[in-house]
Amino acid sequence: MFNSTSGNNKKRVPDWLNSSLWSSSPPPPPASPSPKSSPNDVVADRGVKSTPVTSAKSSVQEAEESKYEPPAPAPPKVAVTAPPAVVVRAEAPKVEAQDPLGSQGRYYSSKEDGARSNVDAVADTASEASAAVKVSSPVSAARPASSAAEDISRQAQLLQELSRKVINMGELRRLASQGIPDGAGIRATVWKLLLGYLPCDRSLWSSELAKKRSQYEHFKEELLMNPSEITRRLEKSSLKNDELDGEDKGFLSRSEITHDEHPLSLGKTSIWNQFFQDTEVIEQIDRDVNRTHPDMNFFSGDSSFAKSNQDSLRNILIVFAKLNPGIRYVQGMNEILAPLFYIFRSDPNEENAVSAEADTFFCFVELLSGFRDHFCQQLDNSVVGIRSTITRLSLLLKEHDEELWRHLEMTTKVNPQFYAFRWITLLLTQEFNFADSLFIWDTLLSDPEGPQETLLRVCCAMLIIIRRRLLAGDFTANLKLLQHYPPTNISHLLYVANKLRTHPAG
Amino acid sequence: MVLVLAIGDLHVPYRAPDLPAKFKSMLVPGKIQHIICTGNLCIKEVHDYLKNLCPSLHITRGEYDEDAQYPETKTLTIGQFKLGLCHGHQVVPWGDLDSLAMLQRQLDVDILVTGHTHQFKAYKHEAGVVINPGSATGAYSSITYDVNPSFVLMDIDGLRVVVYVYELIDGEVKVDKIDFKKTGTATSHSAH
Repeated sequence: MFNSTSGNNKKRVPDWLNSSLWSSSPPPPPASPSPKSSPNDVVADRGVKSTPVTSAKSSVQEAEESKYEPPAPAPPKVAVTAPPAVVVRAEAPKVEAQDPLGSQGRYYSSKEDGARSNVDAVADTASEASAAVKVSSPVSAARPASSAAEDISRQAQLLQELSRKVINMGELRRLASQGIPDGAGIRATVWKLLLGYLPCDRSLWSSELAKKRSQYEHFKEELLMNPSEITRRLEKSSLKNDELDGEDKGFLSRSEITHDEHPLSLGKTSIWNQFFQDTEVIEQIDRDVNRTHPDMNFFSGDSSFAKSNQDSLRNILIVFAKLNPGIRYVQGMNEILAPLFYIFRSDPNEENAVSAEADTFFCFVELLSGFRDHFCQQLDNSVVGIRSTITRLSLLLKEHDEELWRHLEMTTKVNPQFYAFRWITLLLTQEFNFADSLFIWDTLLSDPEGPQETLLRVCCAMLIIIRRRLLAGDFTANLKLLQHYPPTNISHLLYVANKLRTHPAG
Repeated sequence: MVLVLAIGDLHVPYRAPDLPAKFKSMLVPGKIQHIICTGNLCIKEVHDYLKNLCPSLHITRGEYDEDAQYPETKTLTIGQFKLGLCHGHQVVPWGDLDSLAMLQRQLDVDILVTGHTHQFKAYKHEAGVVINPGSATGAYSSITYDVNPSFVLMDIDGLRVVVYVYELIDGEVKVDKIDFKKTGTATSHSAH
């Protein structure tokens, strides 16, 4: 049991969860050479941003969200200073110390994990926290001093794993769930493996890729033609193509048409009719594609690169809609598609980048397969629909943090549908900035439990992390907070999410 | 792929109350990009109806049109084709192909669309193609009472035009199609 200097031993939340370390407070600034030896100092630093690398938590008491800036997708540089963030009391390591993620931790906030394992502090008082936690160097001897080094090591491990003849998926998952470093440009390949697009056996890669890519081209050719072209192709095959220039004057001969194939046809099987019905969907797709990530040059703007990317997104969504008449296109699918396409298109391997559209299509289908039911309106109230998933989230919260659950749903009556709907259907792409959502997706895709389960745990963690603010807020404040989720330390979030597994990690 | 509706000589309400129901059920907004109307609508309500069908509406004046503002002739370019529009009562003898060819050369268009005779025609000569969509309501003409309701829909796709002819014969809609290509300066006709 913890050395609970905590006064609050209430049943509501496990102590390790209640510790100040979970409140996403900003890590101490790297520039400060002196290790934060007392929480008080740290408290003062609360408002300060820091570089990703030296991120470990400061033991701030307030469950204040940090102004932490998630790192851009560039590999974090070596830690600016040696002084690390959190010290842990070298006491009996708690159960958490055996945390499987803890040994290596996220590459940009590695030390926290080890630190957490020995946290006793209660979030309430600084003094208690100071007794419990001190900032200092990494816990376990095994852990390297700088997280960048760790990052490099993980990158090396990933590369090594990827270079095997037959890739060990379990190992890959384990490595990927800690975050895929951006440096090696391997995220595209890893995601393709995790989504089952590439087989484990390397030797099969080129044949698989060729097959799938040509299949996609075939789809495009078949589905993206307009009826004029279709009729022309059909005619070419049946009529002789020579120009009958013999008559310069005369009445033009008429020919009968078959199967009601004229533009105004209202027949169900008429290609024209289908074309016009699809137009509505295509217009919707068009609108959404044009407003995907307007802040990113990759997707938006006048450059031909952006235009071609938008065209690719559009094509993928149109082909998907046509191949899936049951679900067609629903607003939001573009948001799920965007990170996939971005990663695949930015693959340093030229050959892959060029075929990004085809690869993204299949991976998109695979990713969406687990979440399709969320997009189907008829299934909303069913066992597999979005409402049921939101209810599961609610129950998960209740299981882990009853006080918060009660406060949210009973006292302030914040119906989870108001905020969780977007979290779940869009796989958290709208709640965090682009770079962060990539890291979250690393975890979502690599977790052996599957993306659906993992997503719920991450959402639950999102709630628990800001519990203090939520508990203090009323309906309006809470709703506002949850609909504009405050920037937070992603590794911390994912660590908490990991903790919420039904079978304990340790 | 541009869909252009050629229609005219409705003579609503004087000679016919309305379009045939079967035609009306097919003509829905959202499919057609342009409408060229030979004239003799005659009233504003028909104009509004056509405008609702497609905002890009071009009309020339027929002798019974109530709106005196429509022009006598009109030319427009759609895709690779130049189209000319005229009601046709001005061209005498009515329906005479050589005289119409003169008008076509005058307007310098690839496709000339005229009406007035209430008979569908599609004719080719060196200067281009003449199309008469007939009367969409089947109203009697100055020449004959025996008129089948008809109109024309053109699918302009690059250098090729597919003309779909819609006729109401014995209560049933019959659709035929005519195909022609434009090569160089003169239109050429490919039979099928």
